[in-house]
Amino acid sequence: MFQRLDLGHGIGLRTQHFARFLAERPPVDWVEAVTENFMADGGRPIAVLEKVRRDMPVVLHGVSLSIGSVDPISVEYLDDLERLVRRIEPALVSDHLCWGSHRGQYLHDLLPLPYTEEALDHVAGRVSTVQERIGRALLLENPSAYVSFRDSTMTEWEFLSALCRRTGCGILLDVNNVHVSARNLGFDPVAYLDGIDPEHVGYFHLAGHGDRGRYLLDTHDGVVAAAVWDLYREALRRFGRVPSLLEWDDRIPPLEEVVAESLRAAAIEAEELGPALRRAS
Amino acid sequence: MTLAETQELFRGLVTGELPLEDDRLAGCFRGSGELPAPERLAIYRSMYAARLVDGLRETFPALAGFLGEERFEALARDYVAAHPSEHHDVGRIGRLLPAFLRTHPDPDRPDLADLAELEWTRNEVFFAPDGPVVGPEALAGAGDVAAARLRMAGSLRVASLAHDAAALWRCLESGAPVDPPAAVPTPVAFWRRGFDVLHCPLPREEGEALRAALHGEPLGSICAAFGDRPDPAAAAHAAISSWFLEGWVAAVRAGA
Repeated sequence: MFQRLDLGHGIGLRTQHFARFLAERPPVDWVEAVTENFMADGGRPIAVLEKVRRDMPVVLHGVSLSIGSVDPISVEYLDDLERLVRRIEPALVSDHLCWGSHRGQYLHDLLPLPYTEEALDHVAGRVSTVQERIGRALLLENPSAYVSFRDSTMTEWEFLSALCRRTGCGILLDVNNVHVSARNLGFDPVAYLDGIDPEHVGYFHLAGHGDRGRYLLDTHDGVVAAAVWDLYREALRRFGRVPSLLEWDDRIPPLEEVVAESLRAAAIEAEELGPALRRAS
Repeated sequence: MTLAETQELFRGLVTGELPLEDDRLAGCFRGSGELPAPERLAIYRSMYAARLVDGLRETFPALAGFLGEERFEALARDYVAAHPSEHHDVGRIGRLLPAFLRTHPDPDRPDLADLAELEWTRNEVFFAPDGPVVGPEALAGAGDVAAARLRMAGSLRVASLAHDAAALWRCLESGAPVDPPAAVPTPVAFWRRGFDVLHCPLPREEGEALRAALHGEPLGSICAAFGDRPDPAAAAHAAISSWFLEGWVAAVRAGA
């Protein structure tokens, strides 16, 4: 069901850069928009997104689907998502392998799941429901984690791979999150990459994180760390030319700095895999 | 432990409803010598609180600026404990903050509930649906004008504030000194021009008239709100004409 697209290298669309995106076409191949920020019917955000969509491909990236929650899937959320997908016609639709709501309470966080057969059955059923509703494959991102569960019977990469096989969904592989979780939970990040089927990977996330001494915190508030660039190279060698998305969500700098970091991803890809073919724009 | 039990435990630990010393924690979560499980859960707990406080600060920047970091965070934490988020959009978390401030008023600044209502309404208007508007010529095709009804623009709101929060907001926006709170019942209209959110205080009669228009009352009833004016017809005409000019009217429907 899922097929990788040749999108190139993009950045997250953030409010701080709206004026620039309205006035020009910044030198990026595509943008990723946080789904929930554009679900309102009117106002500036959706007008900006529609303009940007006329200029370049847009990927919708959700944070509140709560695919792993034991609560019923929010009908209101699915209605809003389906309406936005029809309006924007995004290249891809993604969210996170996590849960963030319970008993009707939204925690607004990307909380980890125990990787058990019970959780796999549960999430697989909900992924299928969402995919039927939006009429396309969903991509799920590996979250940054600070804790794991005694009940887990499989690794995160085994869980994600099984989910892809069962439902036809894809993986949004956050390279920074692999690095952060590997350090926090004590696994080998390269083993994580080796455990993922290249066919399942839709695009990469790259972002900065903070070092809090005893753990790494997924902050998205700075440049990509050297260790994450190294892991990105490992990922390129295994998965080939996969689109990349540079995230910068806090202490957001001028657009040029974000674009420069994305161009660095493009340069590293060229070093590893040779120059990319030209893209029509 | 089932998935449901795990999530219930995790939710309680993250929100602070359960202590990090809860007996079940060790059986559910895996920690390490360097970073034991309770400290790992504490990371999630601190992020939960910070995210909701940040969400409220984004929606209520003037209130946050007025209270200062410490007082605003204390208010936000009390509020979130009383009203946990029930919507996938974190931007909706502040929906009940004005009401919370009315039931938990600041003894020195009873006008803060109105300031919060002003900021919340501006936030609603920012995301309101777009739509076409009509000019006063639309009345020409409506037949009996007194029976005609106005459909108001989707972004238009009117709030009844107990204090002059618009003046307080203006001082906070411009950095001017803030006056003591003044109990002045003030209707305030909110609307959007392009992407800009605007608001302005209204005379009492015009506030009543605008509320009647938003409720779909016929123009005859709307004009009755100006009955106490020396020249009611002229006052009603001036006010309703300005509504068309401001882009507050989406359509005119002929009366039945």
